[in-house]
Amino acid sequence: MSINGKKIDKLGDNISDSLFEFAQFDNKEAEKTGYSNYSYWKSTWNSFIKHKVAFLLLILVIGILAFTMIQPFLPYQKSPTEIYINAGTNLQDKNVAPSAEFWFGTNSIGQDLWARIWSGTRTSLLIGFAVGIFEAIVGIFIGALWGYVRKLDVIITQIYNVIDNIPTTIILILMTYILRPSISTIIFALCLTGWLQMARFVRNQIIIIRDREYNLASRCLGTPTRRIIFKNLLPYLVSVIMLRMALAIPTAIGSEVFLTYIGLGLPVSIPSLGNLVNEGRILMMTPTLRYQLNFPSVVISIITIAFYVIGNTFADAADPKNHV
Amino acid sequence: MIKYLFKRIGQSIFTLLIIITVVFLLLRLMPEEGYLGTNADKMSDIQKETILNNLGLRDPIIVQLGKFYKNIVTGDLGKSITYRPDVKVSTILAQKIPYSLCFGLVAIGLALVFGVSMGIIMARSKNSIFDKLGTGYIVIINAVPAAVYYLVIQLYLTNTLKLPILFDKSNFMSWILPAISMSLGNTAGYAMWMRRYMVDELNSDYVKLARAKGLSEKNIMVNHVLRNAFVPMAQYLPASILYTIAGSIYIESLYSIPGMGGLLVDAIQRQDNPLVQGLVIIYSSLGILGLILGDIAMTLADPRIKLEKSGGGR
Amino acid sequence: MMSYLDVKINKEVVLCVNDLKVNFKLRGQVLNAIRGISLDLYKGESLAIVGESGSGKSVFTKTFMGLLESNGYIDSGSIMYSGKDLAKFKVAKDWRGIRGKEIAMVSQDPMTSLNPLKIIGKQVQEGIELHQNLKGAQAKKLAIKLLEDVGISDPEKRYYQYPHEFSGGMRQRVVIAIAIGCNPKILICDEPTTALDVTMQAQILDLLKNIQKEYNLTIIYITHDLGVVAKVADRVGVMYAGDIVEIGLADEIFYNAKHPYTWALLSSLPQLGIKGEDLYSIKGTPINLFKEIKGDAFAPRNPRALKIDFELTPPYFEVSKTHKAKTWLLDTRAPKVEYPKALKKLFDEWEGYRNEK
Repeated sequence: MSINGKKIDKLGDNISDSLFEFAQFDNKEAEKTGYSNYSYWKSTWNSFIKHKVAFLLLILVIGILAFTMIQPFLPYQKSPTEIYINAGTNLQDKNVAPSAEFWFGTNSIGQDLWARIWSGTRTSLLIGFAVGIFEAIVGIFIGALWGYVRKLDVIITQIYNVIDNIPTTIILILMTYILRPSISTIIFALCLTGWLQMARFVRNQIIIIRDREYNLASRCLGTPTRRIIFKNLLPYLVSVIMLRMALAIPTAIGSEVFLTYIGLGLPVSIPSLGNLVNEGRILMMTPTLRYQLNFPSVVISIITIAFYVIGNTFADAADPKNHV
Repeated sequence: MIKYLFKRIGQSIFTLLIIITVVFLLLRLMPEEGYLGTNADKMSDIQKETILNNLGLRDPIIVQLGKFYKNIVTGDLGKSITYRPDVKVSTILAQKIPYSLCFGLVAIGLALVFGVSMGIIMARSKNSIFDKLGTGYIVIINAVPAAVYYLVIQLYLTNTLKLPILFDKSNFMSWILPAISMSLGNTAGYAMWMRRYMVDELNSDYVKLARAKGLSEKNIMVNHVLRNAFVPMAQYLPASILYTIAGSIYIESLYSIPGMGGLLVDAIQRQDNPLVQGLVIIYSSLGILGLILGDIAMTLADPRIKLEKSGGGR
Repeated sequence: MMSYLDVKINKEVVLCVNDLKVNFKLRGQVLNAIRGISLDLYKGESLAIVGESGSGKSVFTKTFMGLLESNGYIDSGSIMYSGKDLAKFKVAKDWRGIRGKEIAMVSQDPMTSLNPLKIIGKQVQEGIELHQNLKGAQAKKLAIKLLEDVGISDPEKRYYQYPHEFSGGMRQRVVIAIAIGCNPKILICDEPTTALDVTMQAQILDLLKNIQKEYNLTIIYITHDLGVVAKVADRVGVMYAGDIVEIGLADEIFYNAKHPYTWALLSSLPQLGIKGEDLYSIKGTPINLFKEIKGDAFAPRNPRALKIDFELTPPYFEVSKTHKAKTWLLDTRAPKVEYPKALKKLFDEWEGYRNEK
């Protein structure tokens, strides 16, 4: 097959001669390229929404969060610590199966499981958020110093190595052992190791910022460091912070359950998801009482899975490579 | 390579030293009752002081540190006080390690086989049903606290499969559930990393050239991608294996396995300070050793890495 | 270099592209990367495709091997090779007889094209074993011979080395050896020397020329460097905004270019600069390919554009049997246009050359 080049005979008759004059040369037209209305955050959001599962879970999580906050103020709610006396027998309402009065039943001393679960969720969420925020603040601060001030690099690297090498569980256990269990102890212990990863990440980013060619070029053009940090570093940071905060919740719950298990958990007077699981575990061999294990387990699973999925999906969505 | 090894070992010993010192100082903050044994409340003050003095706990900190280092080097980790009174910590450890090691190795073996295969299949059939199921599995294992799913497994599987709940050395069936439970976490981990690395490799330029050469997708997977994806994994393998010695705290306690994992919990609950101290040191050392071995494994796997110039934070 | 007489004689067409249109799906919009190219490739020739970054040169040749990115697709058109329409291939299996065996590619970046964890000998041998029906020791022998052919000294020893033990130029030679090992009929070289320094460039180009003779290959060079073109090309196709705006023998393009874009490209050669004056550069930036283009794509940047250039896309006008250009300036009704000053010298040479014939 070959191509015929001469086609003007067919077209020639329809074109007026005036079109064969020179046109005005417009400088602006020459420079016109497509306007790319690429917005980083919009693309991130769009990417996130495409994952229907994550989106649903996000709605679920917002719902749960809202509910845990409002729950004590709704009608028919019981107190999580009050021990209920059965009007008929005048004894404690122990181990009542889920019923109209006690929606999730009661535990072995007669406390309402429904209220306890939500109270425990509040506690765990509190721990998770506190740790997440602390991680973010301390992590960024130390990470920035680590990256910027070259003299501190060696020292902080050594400290990092030391802390990194001691397994987190050990530190958790030691801290709780020494400081005696309480909410603040757990938060303290988790924060002690949590900031490490954030600091390391920030430090790496800063080093990249310093040395990558596009940043050197930017600096050559006179871009102030402030703007480089704002436009290059911050979008990354925000997404990483969100990711770590989202993951801090499952971690906090996990650690708390773990500590309770070995006997270093929160005191029984404070309802916590860990305590509830533990109490359920003791009774798990009795089929009728299994609900005391099942309800907390289900609630824990839903919350942890939801936060985990949301955190990871958000991290994926925030990666510009996925914005195509 | 040898020169690097020496340098690395030196570095690690230095880090270990710092860790031990920090742990030592931290442990001095532990409640003193831990040293006095179960009869602590019945002792008079003078008795307590004598015991503490004999243990060297009233000496100045520097002296205590010095003795401590000396003891470690000779392998003397002190004697247990409440757990097994007057038995050397090292003896106790020696009895417990084999169980944890056994389970741990089996768990890692299972995890490697299943996890890596899962990761490979997931990468090959990206976004298929299998991939989604696999991802679901990984998510559940990673998000839900281990305690919860171990319990659920123990509860429901022992009933439905009629497996024993308590571990018994002689009963083979009682090995199954604990080993499987232990492997779940690592399986998820290996599957996730394997998939991630393979997908990364699939996007690289040399795969594009291999495709241009006319190699089939299967050929590319097996001969190029697989091998390359394994390299980053090699770094983490030794550490995982070593950690199995630490045993799984939950599983050993759920199934009453006399391993190392439960030891720490017991020691803490009985406030046996020397035992806690010894265990922490062991775990930290294992961690560091795992790192060094991991680096060596990496050099073996990746010919590009020349260790002489390596340095700085990992 | 071939003269136009030679081309006339060897007029066997190995690859025939007809009105090829390639699009990309990008963030919900459609990008028209290739806007209807028709091209014949003749056996044994060296065709160079020149153009700016983003003109679509790589995309065009990737379609010959089905190596488009996942968000790219052939919208319409055909690519005829050996009686098969490559544009219709969908699955990897369809490409099995083509990739490597018939058409091979040497890509731009030798740094990343080689598997860092495999010895290069094996990587060369893979292609041989796959396409030349040799196995084991025989394949290895051929691999070592190929390494020698491409100019790698001590091939028996270097067979066992890893890519990171080679310099950039050496690695590019290895990539060429891999391509040859597949025993193809057509070799596509995508900017083969861009990542190399000038001395290495010359060596690699000479190597490719020799290999072409020895193995009887048809080579397509993709480049933005006119110097490379001058060295190796028989025919030159000039690409702009996803279309070939001018194509002809190398001499014709250099000394008798007719399209304003080709003039602009040639004028940009630093060698044509006049001492003391500013160097020439093309005004403006390449056009946005997301929108439908009306008329001549180069018109907005062309100081000598006609009004019709903004209305109707020009067809090919024949300048000679082997040379055609898509510009309304060649229409009989178009006003006479002055060549750019810098090119005058160049074109006067052509007059002399033509008169010799």
